[in-house]
Amino acid sequence: MTTIDNPSLEIPGLDGDNYLNHSRGIRSWILTLDHKRIGVMYLVSVLSSFLLGGIFALLVRTQLLVPDGLIMNQDEYNQAFTIHGGVMVFLVIIPGIPAALGNFILPIMLGAKDVAFPRLNLFSYYLWVVGAIFLVMAIFGGLDTGWTFYTPYSIDQDSAMGGVIPAVTGAFLLGFASIFTGMNFIVTIHRLRPDGMTWFRMPLFLWAMYGTAVIQVLATPVLGITLALLAVERTFGVGIFDPALGGDPVLYQHFFWFYSHPAVYIMILPAMGVISDVIAVHSHRHIFGYAFIAWSSIAIAIFSFLVWGHHMFTSGQSPLMSVIFSFITFSVAIPSAVKVFNWLATMYKGSISWNTTMLYGMGFIALFMIGGLTGLYLGVISVDVHLHDTYFIVAHFHYTMMGSALIGFIAGLHHWWPKISGRMFNENAGRFAFVLFFIGYNMTFFTQFMLGSHGMPRRYATYPADAGFQTYHIVSTIGSYLMAIAFFTMAGYFIVSIFKGRKAPANPWGGRSLEWQCTSPPPFDNFSEQPAVGDCYDFSVLRWDEATHGYVWREDVEHPGHETEQTASA
Amino acid sequence: MPENASTAAQGVDDLFYFINNINYFFFGLIVLILIWFALRYRSKPSEHATFNNDAPVHNTPLELTWTAIPLLIVGVLFWLGMDGYLHLTDAPDNSYPVQVTSQKWSWTFEHPEYGVTEAAELTVPLGRPVRLLMTSPDVIHSLFIPAFRVKQDIVPGRYSSLWFEATKPGQYRLYCTEYCGKDHSKMLAVVNVLPEDEFQEQLGKLAREYEEISDHDLPAYALARLYNRCASCHSLDGKSGTGPSFKGLWERTKNGTTVFKDGSTLKDYMGPGGQFEVPENYIRDSILNPQNHIVQNYTGAMPTFKGQLKERQIDALVLMLKNYDKLVDEQGNVIENPDLTGVDISTGVDQ
Repeated sequence: MTTIDNPSLEIPGLDGDNYLNHSRGIRSWILTLDHKRIGVMYLVSVLSSFLLGGIFALLVRTQLLVPDGLIMNQDEYNQAFTIHGGVMVFLVIIPGIPAALGNFILPIMLGAKDVAFPRLNLFSYYLWVVGAIFLVMAIFGGLDTGWTFYTPYSIDQDSAMGGVIPAVTGAFLLGFASIFTGMNFIVTIHRLRPDGMTWFRMPLFLWAMYGTAVIQVLATPVLGITLALLAVERTFGVGIFDPALGGDPVLYQHFFWFYSHPAVYIMILPAMGVISDVIAVHSHRHIFGYAFIAWSSIAIAIFSFLVWGHHMFTSGQSPLMSVIFSFITFSVAIPSAVKVFNWLATMYKGSISWNTTMLYGMGFIALFMIGGLTGLYLGVISVDVHLHDTYFIVAHFHYTMMGSALIGFIAGLHHWWPKISGRMFNENAGRFAFVLFFIGYNMTFFTQFMLGSHGMPRRYATYPADAGFQTYHIVSTIGSYLMAIAFFTMAGYFIVSIFKGRKAPANPWGGRSLEWQCTSPPPFDNFSEQPAVGDCYDFSVLRWDEATHGYVWREDVEHPGHETEQTASA
Repeated sequence: MPENASTAAQGVDDLFYFINNINYFFFGLIVLILIWFALRYRSKPSEHATFNNDAPVHNTPLELTWTAIPLLIVGVLFWLGMDGYLHLTDAPDNSYPVQVTSQKWSWTFEHPEYGVTEAAELTVPLGRPVRLLMTSPDVIHSLFIPAFRVKQDIVPGRYSSLWFEATKPGQYRLYCTEYCGKDHSKMLAVVNVLPEDEFQEQLGKLAREYEEISDHDLPAYALARLYNRCASCHSLDGKSGTGPSFKGLWERTKNGTTVFKDGSTLKDYMGPGGQFEVPENYIRDSILNPQNHIVQNYTGAMPTFKGQLKERQIDALVLMLKNYDKLVDEQGNVIENPDLTGVDISTGVDQ
């Protein structure tokens, strides 16, 4: 049990053998089968995509400063929001937590040496890269359909500027990468859990990743098939979605949302998992209602397949269908609400560290509440008819996708940064960036609720000057600039930490799941012997150790070792 | 919420504000608890976290309670929303009918009872249900009138319908809210709600407008009443948009200098025995069959206006282009009270 007693003293992290220095040279990275290196490669790719998508978000916001548009013409604006949406959805939020953080953390958290199929894992990364190249090429080639590729616009040769086929191919390949990652995780969680790691001892992040993986594997093929049909229609003129050829455009919307609504949960579920762990660890308190949170992840995964029709209340689907979809949509609100209450109860009587990670955790609760509660207006059909396709929708999905999913990713990045890089980042810089981000975020998106309820339609390059929209747009744009500063600050302190940061102890925050039991950064094969599994939310066995600036096992508590089955609490 | 001006609006607004109140309450409550816990249980930076093991980790009655309460609330909301929605989908039998055509990137409103076609403006009676029967020849559009709280996607290949009953006279904005390409954000119109007598008068006037107006006034009339359909693509000041500018268009046509995508010029098709015996016919053909000849450097995005314009309206547009210099100044501004003495009112078509 040497790796557990006081690992950071015995194996001096960065100086000892770890996954970063285990082998050297560019080949050792690009051909690596190590889940940690693949995770890091995903992380770099995702963050680069985030920069690209972010730049276009700023261009879009800058354009809307004045009613006639400040910097772009109609075509350029339409391409800009397509790039922003396509990149952020397909290249940032969907792979953000599962592929980047999940690849790195999931096997370690589970106590495994790697995922079940390391070669498939590397293959899925390269598939992802090829898909990303196709997608980015297509959207720089003038694609202007928005990220939804709605027919018949997307099959109209003149309007869509020829970019649809490569974009669709890109999304198709990205979908496959996502399926492979999902399969890998499902098999890993089923087969590679060590002794003592029962289902109900898994950290909640793993439950969330499991739910996510199930959705990825079941829903993504529908996207692949839909996009393939779209390509067939466009290339060979077979009538599937195009009414001119006898197809039905609403069928496309059904197919698209049958994937894309579950995809919303591919984005948010992992974030909920991250937040469950972040809140428990940084409140230094056992998670409240473990079973309710775990089951709510699974409930969300199931319900997510049954609500796609709520994107189409005004599309001309039958009123009866709209009513049914409205009903099921409300049911998905319940597990989400349950999670929020449980997180709050976890903070009760805790010992809450106000560090950057926890601030993002608490920020997540507030922003997710706004995202979820504004969903109520949209679930109520008669009100949705007014708000649909306005900025209210834009604000709502940014609160869930960015304010929640992306913040979950950022919280996770801070939480596991010491583990990934082996370095501590500057907490004060982190707190500063959070405050700036939080203010900027709400300036940007809260104003958009007002814009939407006053009737400003989305995807407009220009807007009427006398409709009272401009003030809101100006505030929103200023907010987006603040956020940009916050993100550049964040990039700054992360980069500085790599070169100048204090070496991270094995367990800087006081977590008890298995990733905190190996060194920071982890050794090449994660654990030299099979780690001991206990209740990963019972933190009372840890104490602060001044020498290492981290948390260590209490000497007066017996380490569970392998014989802990009898103390397992499900 | 913006000004409300339809029978449906009040119900939608009431529900909107009802949800608002619920949300303010719960959001306020949870954020207060969040902040209270965060402050109360904060671990001071100087001390490191203590692990409190006596805090509860599970409480089934409590957890069931906070599952049940939201369930109850959303159940009520669902019911109210469904009720309002079914009302929105069910147009009364005596509704005043309007046919709507939405195409890239303009609106056409037809009043079958009066034989009147309006562009970019929809005149409707106050206090009478109006039912819009809508079609699209190209891609999906969506008709949205914020003041009436109504919206409906218009899917090509089928009819979509929407109804409302205006409760306040005035002018209200109408937007396209389904992304439809380049000039999506310029696909705007105005709903003009008039009291019954004024409405009758206005529609009567519109029905007779082309008979009553003299040939002499026709060009200026076309610019004022018809050009708004063309405006999103064809500029007046010489800047090229989705289509060529109207500035200088007649000169290019008359002289046959327009160059097409396939490299041919208009001259090749003109003259006796050619496709266009007189240049005016090229303008007419471009309005009715825009795909026949696509001008170089443009994509042929223009839809046909066949069946949407009356003969006299096409005449008016041809005359507008022929007398362009008298109607529009160098900068592309419309000249008020243009001097049209000696105006050429021959359209060439009926020569």
